[in-house]
Amino acid sequence: MATLNINGQTMDIGEIDPSTPLLWVLRDELGLVGTKYGCGIAQCGACTVHLDGAPVRSCQIPVGNLSEQQITTIEGLAVADGTLTPVQEAWIEIDVPQCGYCQAGQIMSATALLNTNSNPSDAEIDAAMSGNICRCATYTRIRQAIKNAAAKMNGTAFYNAAEGGELA
Amino acid sequence: MKLIEENTLSPELPDFFQEFTKPTKANAGIPDVSRRDFFKISGIAGGGLVIGMAIGNSPKAKAQGSELSTLSPYVQIQTNGRVNLFSKNPECGQGIKTGLPLIIAEELDCAWEDVDVVQADIDATRYGVQFAGGSLSTPMNWMAMRQAGATARAMILTAASQQLDIPVSELSTSNTKVQHAASGREWGYGEFAELAATIPVPDPSSLTLKSFDQFKLLGRRFTGVDNYDIVQGKPLFGADTQMEGMLYATYTKSAQIGGRARSFNEDHIKAMPGVVDAFIIDEVGNPKGFNTATGDMFSGVAIVAESTWAAIKAKRELEIDWDLSNAETATWDDLVDQARAIQHSDGEPLMMLAGGPGASIPTDNPASKGDAEAVMESADQVLSAFYEYPYVSHAQLEPETCTALYENGSIEIWAPAQIPQGGESSAAALLGVPQEEAAERVVLHQTRIGGGFGRKLANDFVSEVTAIAQRMEGIPIKLQWTREDDMSGDFFRPGGFHSYKAALDGQGNLVAWQDHFMTSTMNDVTPMTSADLNASVFPMDVIDNVKLTQTMFKNAIPTGPMRAPASNAFAFTFQGFMHELAVASGKSHVEFLMDTLGEPGLANPENPGSMHTGRAANVISEVARISGYEQDDNEAGRAKGLSFYFCHSGYVAQVADVSVSANKEVKVHKVWAVADFGFIHNLSGAENQMEGGIIDGISQLFNSKITFENGIIQQQNFHQYPLLRMPQTPELEIAFLQPEEFSPTGAGEPSMPPVLAAVTNAIYNATGERIRKLPLYELGYKLV
Repeated sequence: MATLNINGQTMDIGEIDPSTPLLWVLRDELGLVGTKYGCGIAQCGACTVHLDGAPVRSCQIPVGNLSEQQITTIEGLAVADGTLTPVQEAWIEIDVPQCGYCQAGQIMSATALLNTNSNPSDAEIDAAMSGNICRCATYTRIRQAIKNAAAKMNGTAFYNAAEGGELA
Repeated sequence: MKLIEENTLSPELPDFFQEFTKPTKANAGIPDVSRRDFFKISGIAGGGLVIGMAIGNSPKAKAQGSELSTLSPYVQIQTNGRVNLFSKNPECGQGIKTGLPLIIAEELDCAWEDVDVVQADIDATRYGVQFAGGSLSTPMNWMAMRQAGATARAMILTAASQQLDIPVSELSTSNTKVQHAASGREWGYGEFAELAATIPVPDPSSLTLKSFDQFKLLGRRFTGVDNYDIVQGKPLFGADTQMEGMLYATYTKSAQIGGRARSFNEDHIKAMPGVVDAFIIDEVGNPKGFNTATGDMFSGVAIVAESTWAAIKAKRELEIDWDLSNAETATWDDLVDQARAIQHSDGEPLMMLAGGPGASIPTDNPASKGDAEAVMESADQVLSAFYEYPYVSHAQLEPETCTALYENGSIEIWAPAQIPQGGESSAAALLGVPQEEAAERVVLHQTRIGGGFGRKLANDFVSEVTAIAQRMEGIPIKLQWTREDDMSGDFFRPGGFHSYKAALDGQGNLVAWQDHFMTSTMNDVTPMTSADLNASVFPMDVIDNVKLTQTMFKNAIPTGPMRAPASNAFAFTFQGFMHELAVASGKSHVEFLMDTLGEPGLANPENPGSMHTGRAANVISEVARISGYEQDDNEAGRAKGLSFYFCHSGYVAQVADVSVSANKEVKVHKVWAVADFGFIHNLSGAENQMEGGIIDGISQLFNSKITFENGIIQQQNFHQYPLLRMPQTPELEIAFLQPEEFSPTGAGEPSMPPVLAAVTNAIYNATGERIRKLPLYELGYKLV
């Protein structure tokens, strides 16, 4: 019987067709529906998860290829008491989502970026996020949310208009 | 300043909305807007949109032991003081689930932090029409939501008065509290909720609504009420529906549109691992025509399996024998050839359309006015140009999906549908449920929609899951379209062609306009859905001599409304040609537009929904000012372009700053937008719509084209139909003029159209090359 390491837990996925993309195992077998199907060919990034910390398109990873890797999905970011990550907080604070369908993938890509580069430039943000489509086109806000999240993580100031200006 | 409480709906409302949108009373006359007196500018979010906002709706569990009192279909109050506000319409990214409850909360005098928003169920008896389209959710519900809030507030005050034995006149409200100034005491709403629920609903005429300057919430920025759940991947969307014992379905239709399944490799498919059943479903009605409520659907093969992947794997091995005798055979390149061949001739006189849903027909009234031909004979200059644009797909990121359970003649459906009431009607029609039993036997729950853009106004996917669930009685079925199903099975934005001619007099004034419009028809009588032209498009609405003719090409490639239907293409063609005329006139672009608009007033004084030239002039002059459009700082290879468009009651002018390299690489550095949508009640939401609309438009301009050969759609997925990505995103600066006498109109659609011509006009200003054909990649341009 196969198991996967997902969000810090060992999860039993039973007898399963090894060609099944991780995406559909998450969604159909484990009920982790935060990871989204958008294209099935690694063009849109809606299905982005972390594999040992690196962003990957889960629609392209046959579950049979996985063994000991640590998988993180959007459901695994916030801690159990409901505390959000700086990226998630930044997303809410500047109202990034429109329809919201792509945002799990966007947040997973952004989180992976900030985990390896705590102060990315615009060009580095663009490069890291270019695999994620937002059909509603929230790109300017995603870019800003990543900067705000970086500032939160680094303890530096970022602009918050609701509070009237600079925050520590 | 007189407050105009209701906006008039556009008289050009597409016919498929008319059954849901009986026009309300007309504006009592719109005062002229003298250029600068009556508006204020707000919300200029420069420098990359650094904004913050009040965060409401922090998630809180319903308190144990707290009683819930229902004051109205929109308002419930718990004894602990928390307030449930019901949002009636579907949320597809337009922000309505935040926007409508905000309006209630304002008049209810709630602290937003005390509010939990609940998605209302579908119930026409309680909520009237419930749909997401036409940029109508806000203007249609503005007054009703204010009254809903004010009504509940009045009931709470009456209850408080009775309970406290203090006259209502001595009580006031603020931040979800009743206050008694004389004694300095205050009480939470929850203390009066139980009694308030028993108070007779007051007469609307007895309510006093706030004036705009009394608003505490409206006008600020609010983050979306679902954002806390979205960032954690909570199940919100149609695709996220999960049920015990659920099976997963795919549905495969003919690549050649309209083919009917005769047989398929049934034994092989049914023997595949995880496949539970597979069967043919026959065609219903006329599915090539855009439909929202009739249950029409294409023939195809349903596969039901234990997982989505098993269903998709089996779908890939389908071998289907199609009856193609009634299938579509159109080829896009043939339409282009036909259109180009007749560009120098006239078509048939264009007649105004009239009629009910799905049955609009040409009237005897010609759309032309004045005598354009005679004016052109004597004009100083006559320009002509031929503009063309292709079919385009919606490409919303959530492919069509829907879940249903059919049992004992009744069905329950979970649908990401823009017209959910039409989804119920479609299911009832397919199942043969009589109207009087439909409320009991057909129940549809609206889910969050993973992008609509008009695609999910059609309920074909609801019909399909209904037919599959009926066959699989007792088992919940989730239908999942693949991206390929979606892109090849769209109701596309129709392609079209405009052969223009226009005349300038000796002073460079626009005096006559002619358009031979070429479009598609399924029945030789009426253009396909969203493929029609009317005379209200600027500048035809403000000049006296207009000649409109039309040629319709017979084909049934399915078409439907896409964000700013018709306008999403017309803004490019009309405002591109307007810039050509401006250049020929010898005036500046802004001066030419202003002179064409003329004195402030309604374009058609008899139609309060027509364009107000003063409001139009204001957005144009303001965007020119903030962008420095008239500073004449254009240089070879880099320039600004401007465009204006009016649709869905909204006025938008945009300027694009664009560089073009020698090898036609185009960088859009920045876009400025100024809009007048009346009062902006959630600034963040309106800015979001404008940001999205601009980038959507640039994406379409450069890269969007759907083609068909012998009735087969040639694009299947994003590698063949690329969407704009973050590196190509320009800096944006957005401002709203908010004339105080106008209540809000919708922002989702009018935000998008102008930018296409703003960019193409900028390319002309930078290079001298005039663009009259989309998309730009076909002309060798590349967006970088």
